Amino acid sequence: MPLLETRDVTVRFGGNTAVDGVSIGVEAGCVTGLIGPNGAGKTTLFNTVTGLQRPAAGRVLLDGADVTRLAPAGRARLGLARTFQRLELFLSLSVRDNVRVAGDILRATGRTVDVEKETDRVLARTGLEDIAHLEVSAIPTGRARVVEVARALMTAPRVLLLDEPASGQTERETEAFAALLTGLAAEGLAICLVEHDLPLVMRLCTTIHVLDYGRLIASGTPKEIRESPEVVAAYIGTEEIGTEEVRREEVA
Amino acid sequence: MNEQAPLLELTGVRAAYGPIQVLHGVDLRVHPGSVVALLGPNGGGKSTTMKVCAGLLPLTGGELRLAGRRVNGITAQDAARLGICSIPEGRGVFPNLTVRENLWAATGTGARLADLEEAAYTRFPILGERRHQLAGSLSGGQQQMLALSRALGTDPVILLLDELSMGLAPMIVTRMYETVAQLVAEGLSVLVAEQFARAVLPIADTAALMLHGRVVASGRPGDIEDQLSSSYLGG
Amino acid sequence: MTSFLTFTILGLVLGAVYAIAASGLVLTYTTSGIFNFAHGAQAMLGTFLYWQLTYGWGWPMWLSLVVVVGLAGPAMGALLHMLIMRGLRETADVTKIVVTVAIMLGMVYLSQWIWHPEEARVTEMFFGANAKIELGGVVVRVHELVCLVVAVAVAIGLRLLFTRTRAGVVMRGAVDDPDLLRLNGHDPDRIAMLSWAMGSTLAVLAGILVTPIGGGALEANQLTLLVIDAFAAAMFGRLRSIPRTFTGAMVLGMTATYVMAYFPTDWTWAGNLRVSLPMIILFVVLIVLPQDRLRVAAVRTRERYRPPTPRSAAVWGAALVAAVFLLALLLDDGSITTFALGMTFAIVALSLTLLTGYAGELNLAPLSFGAVATITGFHFGVTGSGLASRLTLWGVLLAVLVTAVVGGLVALPALRLRGLYLALATMAFGVFLSNMVLRDTTEHTLFGVTFSIFPNGTLIVPPLQVGPFDLRDPRTLLMTATVLFALIGVGLAALRASGYGRRLAAMKDSPAAAAMLGQNLVKLKFGVFMLSAAIAGLGGLLMASAGGSVSGDNFAIMSSLALVMLTVVGGIGYISGALFGGLVSGVGFTIMVGTFNDLATAHPSMESIYKTIGQLLVVATALIGMGVGKNPSGTVHDIVEGYRTLRGARALLAGAAAVEAVLYGLALTGVIGNWWFAILTACLVMALPVAGRMRAAAPVRRTPPELAGVAEPYSDELRERLDRELGLPARERMAKEASVHAVA
Repeated sequence: MPLLETRDVTVRFGGNTAVDGVSIGVEAGCVTGLIGPNGAGKTTLFNTVTGLQRPAAGRVLLDGADVTRLAPAGRARLGLARTFQRLELFLSLSVRDNVRVAGDILRATGRTVDVEKETDRVLARTGLEDIAHLEVSAIPTGRARVVEVARALMTAPRVLLLDEPASGQTERETEAFAALLTGLAAEGLAICLVEHDLPLVMRLCTTIHVLDYGRLIASGTPKEIRESPEVVAAYIGTEEIGTEEVRREEVA
Repeated sequence: MNEQAPLLELTGVRAAYGPIQVLHGVDLRVHPGSVVALLGPNGGGKSTTMKVCAGLLPLTGGELRLAGRRVNGITAQDAARLGICSIPEGRGVFPNLTVRENLWAATGTGARLADLEEAAYTRFPILGERRHQLAGSLSGGQQQMLALSRALGTDPVILLLDELSMGLAPMIVTRMYETVAQLVAEGLSVLVAEQFARAVLPIADTAALMLHGRVVASGRPGDIEDQLSSSYLGG
Repeated sequence: MTSFLTFTILGLVLGAVYAIAASGLVLTYTTSGIFNFAHGAQAMLGTFLYWQLTYGWGWPMWLSLVVVVGLAGPAMGALLHMLIMRGLRETADVTKIVVTVAIMLGMVYLSQWIWHPEEARVTEMFFGANAKIELGGVVVRVHELVCLVVAVAVAIGLRLLFTRTRAGVVMRGAVDDPDLLRLNGHDPDRIAMLSWAMGSTLAVLAGILVTPIGGGALEANQLTLLVIDAFAAAMFGRLRSIPRTFTGAMVLGMTATYVMAYFPTDWTWAGNLRVSLPMIILFVVLIVLPQDRLRVAAVRTRERYRPPTPRSAAVWGAALVAAVFLLALLLDDGSITTFALGMTFAIVALSLTLLTGYAGELNLAPLSFGAVATITGFHFGVTGSGLASRLTLWGVLLAVLVTAVVGGLVALPALRLRGLYLALATMAFGVFLSNMVLRDTTEHTLFGVTFSIFPNGTLIVPPLQVGPFDLRDPRTLLMTATVLFALIGVGLAALRASGYGRRLAAMKDSPAAAAMLGQNLVKLKFGVFMLSAAIAGLGGLLMASAGGSVSGDNFAIMSSLALVMLTVVGGIGYISGALFGGLVSGVGFTIMVGTFNDLATAHPSMESIYKTIGQLLVVATALIGMGVGKNPSGTVHDIVEGYRTLRGARALLAGAAAVEAVLYGLALTGVIGNWWFAILTACLVMALPVAGRMRAAAPVRRTPPELAGVAEPYSDELRERLDRELGLPARERMAKEASVHAVA
């Protein structure tokens, strides 16, 4: 059974249906990709899963429990964590304090944590020790993305949702980041990745869901997704696709 | 092929949203009477490039030239009055204004409302029928027609189209591009950013492929088309 | 039946005026996103100008109307937009609110300067108070008819503007999508300016119409607050819909009139209730407003504070206590009491450091919470009588506790909403308290107990006595207040450095991210608001007891607003900012004006000049407040940054300390007067950062390439510099990035 599940989730803005009956699952121990063209409804689905957006219909299940009506903070306490497409760092805190505050919140909700020790561990795990003392406004975007991940990891999540974590990263940073995600998944974390860098998604994910016009048009392994005519059509256009191209992709 | 000076020219253009740099040196030319298609996966910087051309986002480096004149730092309203007609991503209409009021708002560049209405209602009779309806209550296709009507009646120098196809049914997309093709036939220059390459390639003279904030390839549409799926979906 | 009709018409008239004022407020809010707290002050200035032209200079009424409503009103709005509002885009809510509050205070000060408040001024009804018409058995004054007609005309006019003119259509477009408007060739700034001009005109119109209805007397504070009543009407329309705003205004006007007409006359508080009704309604509307959705991408604000470590705060606290002790040796008893009063204000200001500086929420009526504590302390915390009466420690604790609970109750309905609504709720509470509770001077009998909340309009609050520790002595009072300020200040610094403080900072910087880490925002806001109210209560109670007695005016909303503004000017994120704000707003004004008045009396030939300087200083403080939009981090921040350049200059600092010590010695022995001491000290303090900057300006430190991107932000310039230093070709981005990595 997937750790995180959406069942027939529909979100409407006024008359527009942004997400239309989407059911996806995110399994523990692997990276699941969520891709689709601009405006396909990926971030809206993320917001619905995390509780920033109320769905018009459908349910969100976390480890089998219905969390559809739960506030974001409540879902976080059940083990859901996320990062943001537009960075949402705490600008008046240092890198270390950005991570540490997540532990403070955890402790304030009654969990027993050694905040200092855990902060050190997470900073070391994410490779942020060298910039831990800096103001977050002073670090490059690529590393700031990692700070958001580190902050999310402090809450000891079971499911981690990443919204375009590689954008703004240099190729070297992306390499290190990919290794981090693979490692985290291997430790049993369920990771859901929205990302524009499709080669990265293809490389990291075991399962990929594709959204288009708010609908789920395909789910499968990277290989299946790459070969799916619907996906290619969604990305490039609507005409018939020459078999020649598909074959070329396979070779590549 | 094009002897004339380019109408719109970007040289080494960089731009950023706050601390996040998105364009890392974009080079692009649109010659008079031509259609340039800007292709590539999302996140590549197409929309940002369009915003820079429209004056909505300032450059942090490089040069933006309009008809040979350096216009770095131009405001969007001045760009519009100089004849850059930009239809932004995701419905360029005011949802809480009626169809007619939307056209009225479009007269900010000096066009006359009567001309705009005539051009729009002739081309898209459905808009004439719904002239007193709020734009937000129109269907996606009708909203896009309304947005496109701005280009019909205001006689722009260059048309910037960003993701005309977003959220539209394929048939409607085809119709939209037919309209664009007619405008081009009348001599308009167009820069169009589009994920659906197939929809726009037939009318394009030149295609440019954008990846990671740079134009990585440009040339004949056919050549670029061959590179598309691998760059979109990864190899 | 006739009387019912009469009252209904009176209610409609009042509603009409509210509607005119409120629609102006909605207009500016929707087009520029700024809630204009100065709206009432604009109405007030316009009305005073109208009085000056018509009654002061005897112009014909129609001409004054044309000049005031047709020219001065629009000009005032357009100027406000051009000079101030335009610069407020992309600033935090708190900054926007404080700037418009500063404008409001500045306008009130300005009007009191031009039109001396002790002279009586009256404007009469149009066509005179005796011009009446009978309509279906009901007698209506012509002026009242004029109000109704104008309101209808405004409603129709706005409707036509928004649907039949391009300017109006474009204004509506600006609400939808300003960027798209620019793509259509319009300048959103010009549209916003137009809306500010119209909003201002509507405010002025409302002011001129409402003044004769309220009796005709012009009083700056009252007139400013009268139009603030329109806030409630605007809230009915959720600050967006003009038709709903009109409906709200009518409901408001009629309810107020019916309360006046039909409540039993022996209910002495009915009059007070009528006055505070709009604020009560504002409160109720806030409660029923639906919850805001948590928004991602919070405003990237420009405010930056460096919180002190608890250790350095403790050092500075000790230094403050020592400095105040030394300073007190120079002063006479009267000055010491004044100084102590200022220090109690500074304690109240500390409540804002916590709430606004650390948690990013705003309380516009801190002194009203001081009033709650004072009333509690007066009724339940005093032992003995006459000269022997004393405030007990338990009384103080009880007062602080009650204030915290009241604070929680006030904040609760607004906590689900954006910061602006909490600010409005606190302001509604402040006005309500001033009107209802602090004016409750007569005796009631309830459940057999006879009492009055604010007997005779004055509360005698005796000094605190704990064991042998008697605050009747001014020096003990001053030192106690100073030590308390220092202790709370150090406590706040420790709080900020703790997990709780980090959670507050997280909530302030990004509510969405904090919620996604599991933080319950409402709970956190609730707790910090109660704590902040408790601090304000403690300061307020001490303030009352320092002065010996207080009247309702001591807790007036205008004083609260001045305190808030000056604390933000000082630096809302800094404890020293609270010290600045408290001292200046608590006693600084009085001292400034007093000093220059004394000078004027002493030198009759220069009288007008000295008086002008005194007034100018008061108006100038409001001007600084308006500058907060440009410099949101505050004055203290600038000074601290200035002193940062002096860190290495030990010789310079030691020299300055020696000079200061000599100055103090001279002052103590009476060689130089206290004023000279103050002026020379101020010069020294100001001169030091300048010297430091001159010293620092000489060698420019550059980051070595290996620290690029680590010790300084990783910018384009930096990349280019690295390229140059590494001798790389400028345009080959891929190669460049790789090499940057090799270096970093």
